[in-house]
Amino acid sequence: MSGIIEVTNLSFGYAAASPILKNISFEVPPGTFLVIAGPNGAGKSTLLNLICGALKPQSGEIMLDASPIESYSAEALAAKVAVVRQESMPIFGFSVVETVLMARTPYFSAAGFESQADRAIVNDALELTDTARFAMRPLTNLSSGERQRVFIARALAQDSPVLLLDEPTSFLDLRHQVDIYDLLKTAQIEKGKTIVAVTHDINLAAQYGDEALLLGMDGSFQHGRTSEVFSAEHIENVFNVQVFAGNIGRERFFIPLGKLAKDNRQINPRPNNNKS
Amino acid sequence: MDQLLTPKKLITTMAAALAVLAVVMFACSLVGSEKISLRAVFDGPGVQAAANPDYEIFVRFRLPRIVLACLVGAALACSGVVFQALLRNPLADPYILGISSGAGLGVMIAVISGLSWTLWGRSPIAVFAFAGALGTVWLVWFIGRLTGKFHVTGLLLAGVVVNAFFSAVIMFLTSIAKSEQVHSTIFWLMGNMVEEDFLVLWIGTGCVVGGIVAMFYISPQLNALSFGDEDARSMGINIARTRTVAFAVAAGITAVAVSMSGLIGFVGLVVPHAVRLVFGPDHRRLLPLSGILGAIFLIIADTLARTVIAPAQLPVGVVTAIVGGPVFLVLLVKHSRNVGGFK
Repeated sequence: MSGIIEVTNLSFGYAAASPILKNISFEVPPGTFLVIAGPNGAGKSTLLNLICGALKPQSGEIMLDASPIESYSAEALAAKVAVVRQESMPIFGFSVVETVLMARTPYFSAAGFESQADRAIVNDALELTDTARFAMRPLTNLSSGERQRVFIARALAQDSPVLLLDEPTSFLDLRHQVDIYDLLKTAQIEKGKTIVAVTHDINLAAQYGDEALLLGMDGSFQHGRTSEVFSAEHIENVFNVQVFAGNIGRERFFIPLGKLAKDNRQINPRPNNNKS
Repeated sequence: MDQLLTPKKLITTMAAALAVLAVVMFACSLVGSEKISLRAVFDGPGVQAAANPDYEIFVRFRLPRIVLACLVGAALACSGVVFQALLRNPLADPYILGISSGAGLGVMIAVISGLSWTLWGRSPIAVFAFAGALGTVWLVWFIGRLTGKFHVTGLLLAGVVVNAFFSAVIMFLTSIAKSEQVHSTIFWLMGNMVEEDFLVLWIGTGCVVGGIVAMFYISPQLNALSFGDEDARSMGINIARTRTVAFAVAAGITAVAVSMSGLIGFVGLVVPHAVRLVFGPDHRRLLPLSGILGAIFLIIADTLARTVIAPAQLPVGVVTAIVGGPVFLVLLVKHSRNVGGFK
C-alpha cells in the first residue's frame, strides 16, 4: 500500500481561454490527510476529477505512485484510487451490501460472483463504517448521513491506498459531520490510507487535515501544513469575507462575520482599515 | 450477508423458473382451435398414405409458434433490462432508440415496392425489418455520440426524434399505398406471430441465447453502471467496453426478434420491472429471470391471441398490453411500497 500523488504544473479549464487551475504543483505523501478548500468555482471538484482521471489536464502532469495517471487502465486505477462523490443515487433500489459489494466487481469470477476474500473485505468495510446494522436495507430508505457512510464503505471496499472525497459532509448535521471525519481519520490511521477531501468546512478541515490546499478564484493557491495554510489572512483574502479567528487548545477556528448580522459592529466598512 | 445472491441461489431460482417455462410450453402446445391428443402425437408422423394429423399440427404449427414466442419474449425482456440499465431510465424499452420505426420503415418499403424476389424461398420482409432496425439504431448511436462522449439525454432525444421522423415517413407511405399493402403492414406493426420454419428458429435460438449469455457476463458491470458513469469508472469498470457490448447485443437481439415477429410492445418494458419489483435490481438475477418470464409471458399471450377469437387471430401485441397492463399495475402497487424500487 503506497499512494503518493504528485501534481506538477497542472493547468485546466473547461473553456481554453479561461483556465480554472493555473500551474498548480503539490505532492501528497502516502498516508497523508489532505484537505482542499476554496470558494465555489475555484476548481476544487475539478481538481479531484483530474486526480481520479475523470478529466484530462490541459498541461502538466499528475503522477500516482510514480506513473502518470493516464497510463492506468480503469481497473488498475480503481485498485489505487477510490472516489466518494456528492450524493450519487442509482436509479434502482440496490441494498447497502449489494452497493458495497460492487466495489469488488473487477475481482469477480468469470461467472460474475465474489470470492470469500471479497466478502471479508466488504464485511470489514461495513463494520468500520458502522453500516452493517442496516446492510440489507435499500439505499433509498436511508438518511443522508447513513448513505454517505455507505458510499465511504464502498470506497473502502475497493481496498485502494488513495481515497478521494468530494464534500463528504455537505448535507449532514453537526454530529454526522464529525462522525464522517472520525471515520476518515480512522481509515487513515488504521489502514494507512492517503485521503484527499474537498470541503467547504474549514473548521473540520483544520481539525482533521494534515495538509491543506487552499484554491483562490484568481488561480492562486496555497499549499502546506494545515496550520499554516488556514490563517485568518489567507481565508479572508481567498473567500473575500471577514472572519473571527480563535483558538481552542491547539485547534484554530474561523467564524465568518455577516455584514447585516444583528450585531455587526465588528464588520469594517472598508477592508484594511480596522484601527478606528 | 446471507441474503446476498450466490451461484447456488441463482441456479435454484433459474431451475424453478425454467420448470415453470417447460410446463407453460407443454400446456400451451395442447391448447388451440384443433384439439390434439398427446398420445397421438407420440405415435409419430405416420406413414406416407395416412399422415397423423395430430402429429402434423403439433410439429408444424404449435411447436414452431411456441418456440418463436419463447425466443421473442426472452429477447425483448432481456434487451429491455439492458436498455433500462444503459440509459438509466426506467421508461426505456427495446424500441426506445428507434428500432421499432426503423424496422417498420424497412417492412413498409419491402411491401410497397412489391418485392417479388425471395431469399432462400422466403419473403424479404424479415431481412428488410432486420436491416431497418439495425440501421436506425446505428444512426441514433451515431447522432448520440455527436452530442457528447456518451450523453444519455442526447441519445434518448436522438432516439425519440428519429422514431418520430420515421413514424411520419411510415404514415406518409401508408397514405399513398394501396389498402391491401397497408393492411399487411399494419398487422406486422401490431406483432405478427407466424409459424416459422425450423431453420429460422435455429438461427434465432442461436442469436438470442448467445446474446443473453453475453449480457449475463456483463451484468455485474451493469449493476455498477446504475450508479452513473463516473461512479462506475472509479469502481474499475471499463465503461466504454461494457456499453458497446451491451448496446450492440441488446440492439442485435431486438432486431432479430422484430424481424421474426413484428413489433410486440410491452414485454420489454413490463417484464423487467415485474422481475425487479419481486427479486430486486441485481442484474445477475434480473437478466436471466426476465428472459424466462418474458418467454412465459409471450407464450401465454400468443396462445390467447390464437385462441380467443379462433379461427381468426388477434395481433399478439394487443394481448400483451391488455393482459400485461393490469397485472403490472397490481405488482407495482403491491411491491413498490415496501421494496422502494423507484427513486
